Amino acid sequence: MFKKLIIAPTVFILGLAAAAGVSLNGAGATFPYPLYAKYFDAYNKLTGVRVNYQSIGSGGGIRQLFAQTVHFGASDAPLSDAKIAEFEKKFGTQLIHVPTAMGAVVPTYNLPGVSKPLNFSGPLLAAIFLGKVTKWNDPAIAKLNPGVRLLPLPITVVHRSDGSGTTYIWTEYLAKVSPEWKAKVGVGKSVSWPVGLGGKGNEGVAGLVRQTPGAIGYNELVYAVQNKIGFGAVQNRAGKFVLASLESVKAAAALTDFPQDTRVSLTNTPAPEGYPIASFTWILVYRDLDKDRAFKSAAEAQALVKLLEWIIHDGQQYNESLHYGALPEVAVKVNESNLAKIRYNGMPVK
Amino acid sequence: MNLRRRYLRDRLMMVGLALGTLLVLLPLLFILAHVFIEGIGALNWNFFTKPPKPPGESGGGMLPAIVGTFYIDLMALAMGGLLGLGGGVLMAEYPDHPINRPLRLVANVLGGVPAILMGLFAFVVVVEPLGGFSAFSGAVALAVLMIPIIMRSTEEVLKLLPWELREAGLALGLPRWRVTLSLILPAAKGGIITGLLLALARAAGEAAPLLFTAFGNQFLSFDPLGPMDSLPLKIYVYAISPYEDWVKQAWGAALLLALLLMLTNFLARRAMRKR
Repeated sequence: MFKKLIIAPTVFILGLAAAAGVSLNGAGATFPYPLYAKYFDAYNKLTGVRVNYQSIGSGGGIRQLFAQTVHFGASDAPLSDAKIAEFEKKFGTQLIHVPTAMGAVVPTYNLPGVSKPLNFSGPLLAAIFLGKVTKWNDPAIAKLNPGVRLLPLPITVVHRSDGSGTTYIWTEYLAKVSPEWKAKVGVGKSVSWPVGLGGKGNEGVAGLVRQTPGAIGYNELVYAVQNKIGFGAVQNRAGKFVLASLESVKAAAALTDFPQDTRVSLTNTPAPEGYPIASFTWILVYRDLDKDRAFKSAAEAQALVKLLEWIIHDGQQYNESLHYGALPEVAVKVNESNLAKIRYNGMPVK
Repeated sequence: MNLRRRYLRDRLMMVGLALGTLLVLLPLLFILAHVFIEGIGALNWNFFTKPPKPPGESGGGMLPAIVGTFYIDLMALAMGGLLGLGGGVLMAEYPDHPINRPLRLVANVLGGVPAILMGLFAFVVVVEPLGGFSAFSGAVALAVLMIPIIMRSTEEVLKLLPWELREAGLALGLPRWRVTLSLILPAAKGGIITGLLLALARAAGEAAPLLFTAFGNQFLSFDPLGPMDSLPLKIYVYAISPYEDWVKQAWGAALLLALLLMLTNFLARRAMRKR
């Protein structure tokens, strides 16, 4: 009796597990999470392949890729040369960066009564995040926003608490426009913040900004748009105040040549109409998939490559409705030739 | 005069006690009421039958998390219960066994270890060697969390049984293992089940040990070796998100979890009384 009670559900459950088909697991960036969730939802309906993506932050994604617990990682910060060398030495294979979309990091804020987007300049943002500008009616803010009634509300800086590609993009931009930022804080996925509260993930920062009057944070554009959080225009290198949008991100990414390793920085673009804090976001995979212990079969390797092929071609149709830029043609070309290099047990997967 | 004063003092003390009790109960009642008010609106048909939708789209549900909670917790109870019971029996029935001292020490230390370290333990011992997050690794983390609780409650309950019961069995010529299995454990059944259920309730509310073990999954999964979702994980992720729909669902999940834990506690009490 008891045995039957145990065996029947076990057989049933294992049967279900077997019938479910290929599952892939990924982890990493929160920056493209709304887009990836859409991709994988659509891809599941299309092919039945289940891609489980958990947005634990770019730092976490890279760590899990190194720990070989996931089929792919995701990051908005490309790996540094040192990290790539470490990867190649440790695993005896190369790491392939697959850019999937372009996004913008916007200064999000919660200012009751201000409806028009505020103007920011790079140095002003650096000053705010350094803790030097502490009130919303500070002359430095008022100067860029004539005609806007600013209240003497204290500024609450919100930043990421986890290792984050969004932080990398944000700090990389601030370091490019503010020597003081570069000297005092620097660039990285996690830096030692002079001031502010920490939120986990883009979700956490957006949540904190939304709940805290007087808060300023930084988020991928879609988080601001979907949650109706105010975000400001940023002055680009040409001196123009630009709001993040599909057009201004595309303008920033108007590249003619694209490096084979795809590690391109778009911040502080010289393009006159370009938004200055834009970036690609990448999916990271092993070139030799068999070297990643997360892969248990050739079928999984095949499923991953098919998925990536779909993302860089058909999947791109979802980008713009979620306010992410679609990949430029040059990037798709480079992706195609990179994906062709992926192998499993020495055999090309495609 | 004196008597009246005594009565007065008595009454004052009673009022003080009642106020103190109320003070202790108030936060609990407040939490329950708040969770109920915020969460009841989220519990609809979709909540129980649908997998989650991509952020920004409404109409998703918690089905994978609800199924996963039961799956992982029961798997953990099977593993933790077995080991915890074994340890408890050893400590109560074989008090002179040399392994008891270190065992007790380990149980005490384990009981004080923060839950997230159990997750780290399972990550290093199960996730990394197996090359992937899995429901099984989550269950291992929760099982380790349960073991000291079950061990201690089992030991307490067994110690309450009169020593004559064992002597009676031994006098009939039963070997010691048989006495334990056929006399002691059945006699202590109620208390043991209470301990198991309380340990289950303690582990079921934990999100930290599952973060890097069970990991979460937006699809309904029954694969013990694949990632799986769980209610505490979903609450953790959804509650801090900026999406109103998600925050609402996090409240719903919190309410559901609270109800499940209350049910478990209620069953534990009934099992205790039956004894």
